[in-house]
Amino acid sequence: MVPPASSPRPPSASPGAQLAPPAGAPRARDLGLVNWRGLWTLYAKEVRRFLNVSTQTILAPVVTSLLFLAIFTLALGRTVRTLGSVSFAEFLTPGLIMMAILQNAFANTSSSLVISKLQGNIVDLLMPPLSPGEQALGLAGGGVTRGLIVGVAVGVAMWAFIPIGVYDPVFVVFHAVNASLMLALLGMVGGIWSEKFDHIAAVTNFIITPLSFLSGTFYSIERLPDNWHLFALLNPFFYLIDGFRYGFIGHADGSLWVGALVVLTVNAGLWTLVHRMIATGYRLKP
Amino acid sequence: MEPPPVLAPRSFGWLNGRGLWTLVYRDLRRYWKYGVESIGGPIVSSLLFLAVFVLALGGQGEASGGLSFVQFVAPGIAMFALMHSGFSNGAVPLVYDKHEGMIQDVLAAPLNAAEVAAGYGLSATLNGLVTGLVVLAAMMPFVALPLGHPLVALLFALLGAVLFGLAGVLIGLWAAKWDHYSAAESFLILPLGVLSGAFFPLDGLPGPARTLILFNPAFHAIDGVRYGLTGYAAWAPGASLVILLVVDLALAALAWRLFAIGYKIKP
Repeated sequence: MVPPASSPRPPSASPGAQLAPPAGAPRARDLGLVNWRGLWTLYAKEVRRFLNVSTQTILAPVVTSLLFLAIFTLALGRTVRTLGSVSFAEFLTPGLIMMAILQNAFANTSSSLVISKLQGNIVDLLMPPLSPGEQALGLAGGGVTRGLIVGVAVGVAMWAFIPIGVYDPVFVVFHAVNASLMLALLGMVGGIWSEKFDHIAAVTNFIITPLSFLSGTFYSIERLPDNWHLFALLNPFFYLIDGFRYGFIGHADGSLWVGALVVLTVNAGLWTLVHRMIATGYRLKP
Repeated sequence: MEPPPVLAPRSFGWLNGRGLWTLVYRDLRRYWKYGVESIGGPIVSSLLFLAVFVLALGGQGEASGGLSFVQFVAPGIAMFALMHSGFSNGAVPLVYDKHEGMIQDVLAAPLNAAEVAAGYGLSATLNGLVTGLVVLAAMMPFVALPLGHPLVALLFALLGAVLFGLAGVLIGLWAAKWDHYSAAESFLILPLGVLSGAFFPLDGLPGPARTLILFNPAFHAIDGVRYGLTGYAAWAPGASLVILLVVDLALAALAWRLFAIGYKIKP
């Protein structure tokens, strides 16, 4: 990853400089192409931040997902027996895992940024010799890690009740990683934009929750009326859930290749946006 | 020459009405100030729940007592919003006041323990009740509810709001950090609210679970409200009423006692 010209990184000491500093004089540290130590430190801080309160960040989502499973199997189990060849519980389980991944990846980066901004320790992110790309990668990495850990934890807990097999692990991993990344990046966009907790709460309540609920987690979109069916196809979360579910049950509602393309395009777009926000200091620097 | 007036403590009568109202009003204003979160959030999530239940069922399906599933679940969704809102409006102000040290303002005011407990409990109850009513109103365009006994529904909703408001106050007193509040919400309040028959009919449950659910006071509040709104109750509403009154009184007595001894709020 090549840092852009506007990077705050200290210039590399060039051996051909005209004015060679006297021996022993202080000079800018050479960090090389990537500041690996800085990147790792930021990433490790983001991961420790949620592991420190793992009851809230890992165990709580597991309990919430099991409660969802209980509600839907008890409420609908009798009426909706099967969808095609799979039982409703088997259809639901991958959706619930994915929903936990989405919500937690988003919560990690958004809360980290909003809290840092409110408490003023955002300078600890802005001051170190990290390029915008490194800052974005470190923060997003924390969100992705939380999304994946929560996904595995929820999956294992659900498996105790609904022993579901894996049909194609490639799709499971691809969509889990891309879902975590997409929501971690969205969380960063929301966190950078928000100036108060109210703002990020509004983004969560009015954008993220509706998109994740209306994405085919709980129902097959083939059940939807035509215009709603089209609306579901415009929701990028639908492709995350649909592809992820295909990895488990071997059946998808939409096209898998379109889905993978949409997911990768959205992530590339979000990455560009986040990089740009950090590079210009939008709502981060005075 | 007249003797100087004797200085005596101000007399408030048997109830410091103005002080109590000030405390209640403060938290009602706090609720309105964050209206986007406190009312907008539950409306959106409740309508999403309703939409998901309708879509997952593909329209209609019959639940208990001749109700369609949507008619069955709508009172449950409103009650879930009410209970969750009652809990958080009971706990958050207390945790916040303790965290920021503003609890001193309450302790130093001429309010006795019963008035402080009532102040925190009452604002939580009212905020929860408003949330539940607004959510119900928001769902009305989508669900046909007979509304057979609206006053019965209101009474059970009130008792449910008191139940979770006081539970919130007790947890707010106990919680030393926000982590504790979140833990109580995730591991106690959400399970009680969800595993209460709010979202599923009792006859879908296996035998022992059907008995176990009767020990969840949230079930009685929800069943009573559902009886008032739809005319269908899974259990005896009269007995539910008695159970709710007893549990509410017990929680109120506990809250009073804890404020009186200054549990975790006085040095």
